[in-house]
Amino acid sequence: MTCRLMRAWVVLAMAASLAAGCGGKKRPAAVSTAPPSTSDSGGRTLPTEVPAPVETGPDVSSLGAETARGEDFTISNPDTGEGGPLEDIHFEYDSANLTDRARSALERHALWLQNHRDAKVLVEGHCDERGTVEYNLALGEKRARAARDYLANLGVGSERLRTTSYGKERPLDPGSNDAVWAANRRAHFNVSR
Amino acid sequence: MEQPATRSRASSSPLNRAVAVLALLAVPLLDRASRPAQVPPSPPPTIVIQEGVQRFAIPDCIPRKGDEASREVCRTVTQVLRADLQFENLFKFVPQSLMSAIPTMDPEAPNFTDWKGVGAGVLVVSRAQVTGGEATVEVRVHAVETGQAMLTKRYSGRTDNPRVFAHLASDDIMTLTQYRGVARSKIAFVSDRDAVPGRKTKEIYIMDYDGYNPRRVTVNRSLNILPNWSPDGRALAYVSYRRGNPDIFVASIYEGRSADLTGDKGGGAFAPSISPDGKRVAFASSRAGNMDIWLAGIDGSSPRRLTASGSLDTAPTWSPTGQEIAFTSDRSGSPQIYVMDTEGLNVRRLTTFGNWNDAPSWNPSKQFGEIAYTARLESGGFDIAVVDIGSRQVRQLTQGRGSCEYPSWAPSGRHLTFACGRGGKWQIAVADRLGQTITMLPAGPGKNEQPDWGP
Repeated sequence: MTCRLMRAWVVLAMAASLAAGCGGKKRPAAVSTAPPSTSDSGGRTLPTEVPAPVETGPDVSSLGAETARGEDFTISNPDTGEGGPLEDIHFEYDSANLTDRARSALERHALWLQNHRDAKVLVEGHCDERGTVEYNLALGEKRARAARDYLANLGVGSERLRTTSYGKERPLDPGSNDAVWAANRRAHFNVSR
Repeated sequence: MEQPATRSRASSSPLNRAVAVLALLAVPLLDRASRPAQVPPSPPPTIVIQEGVQRFAIPDCIPRKGDEASREVCRTVTQVLRADLQFENLFKFVPQSLMSAIPTMDPEAPNFTDWKGVGAGVLVVSRAQVTGGEATVEVRVHAVETGQAMLTKRYSGRTDNPRVFAHLASDDIMTLTQYRGVARSKIAFVSDRDAVPGRKTKEIYIMDYDGYNPRRVTVNRSLNILPNWSPDGRALAYVSYRRGNPDIFVASIYEGRSADLTGDKGGGAFAPSISPDGKRVAFASSRAGNMDIWLAGIDGSSPRRLTASGSLDTAPTWSPTGQEIAFTSDRSGSPQIYVMDTEGLNVRRLTTFGNWNDAPSWNPSKQFGEIAYTARLESGGFDIAVVDIGSRQVRQLTQGRGSCEYPSWAPSGRHLTFACGRGGKWQIAVADRLGQTITMLPAGPGKNEQPDWGP
């Protein structure tokens, strides 16, 4: 909208106050969507407080389509993090170091993968609820990579291994005690054939 | 005795902007409302409201017609306008018990002597009527001492959300001060309220700053987290697992478009933070083998790596000037807050107290050189703390609310939001920057977290 037009709207639409001035900061107030007010003396028109959110916008279907794509990618049972032929491995608090028990499990996993050459693995890193969202996403990634690197060192082709992190976003158990936290600090192996 | 409610505009530069805006927006008084639209601009007001000086009187809004619809709009306007101006944490108010002693006034001609008598310095008169499904709300702000009208505004619109009239009026009244109002600002957040049964999905929502009018932004039924507003308030960057891997998208929320910012490069992309000029985005990614801070154009162009410490580097946040970025790194052995320039140089550690300091949010006001963050100050729980960048002094904002994390400043820098809870029960809180008043927002069902306060 040109400045001249904007000026013409000032009396009628005043909508964005500070925002609507030419060259001023823009805000989502009804700058361009407001129909003229019936008021003849300077009311501000607010047909809707702000334009419609995404789900009613013209590209809703494209968001929906992308969702379908996302679901196509998912493997075995990713949403619960349970099941699958390869058991989870677990970590100490705020650590991505592999415990002896985790190494034993990974050695069994490597053997299973040698015997199932068509299988690919997405290694998911998970964390307990303590600590921040961002840090746990980074920590989950580090855990997934530690597991992946160990499998690769045992001879599993790296092209068969991918990693991702869910941080603390998808705990197995939403509870808050030591046992729950220990169960939630894990790498999960999503196997696709 | 209150100070006179007037102050000469003269050359008091911080106020010139507000005064200029007022000159532009001043509207005729009601008795001239039926005249043609061509009205000569009112003379520039010469009055401003000073923090903590004048006492506000906000009597009940007067329904212009006695019908229930007008009364309903008035009830909301009164309640929300009072709440909005109180939230600004700048003003004193005439108590309702004193206001109720004053007889119902003619909104065209308030008896200023009455209002002076109860100690009012600023009188906010409002009235509303509903005609044919449309509400009209008129607000006049008077300096009680002189009776002069500092602000006369008429708002009109649908009746389904009368709260917005009060929010608009509050922000307009704030233009009479040197501060930017917060009432029209929005908070983006993450919730599992619409989770697909049996799947742990989360979506992005926005709501008014006071927790009302939550509205869903993402609809992809995947895991969507870490929203971050663009400075113009029209877009949100966020992380979505819609392709299975965490990647950053930018949603133009009012147009319903979503752009893929990072692409599916592997290694994921987390924690987007849009620069104050809206042109760049900092984020965390392990695409180069380790979790580092990256910087790209807002369209995802020219991504480059800023950190390469071999440690976990994440959670970038921009300085108000756009020349520095604070972030979390565990390079010292525990998560701590660091600052660097946008070339990744001049890295320095900011936090030294405590063994877990994370999730920084740089106060966007240049007036306050400070960074809010999440700190483990006592064993177990996390709390919100603020570090003064100059003195390195730390103030703790929360205590004893389970864990509180994910601070995010309001654009004015005078308030902040964060999430508090434990396990599946998390809700969003707002507080003034000193943490004197902490309010849990009525954000609705589900686990509500990761708030980001936008324009």
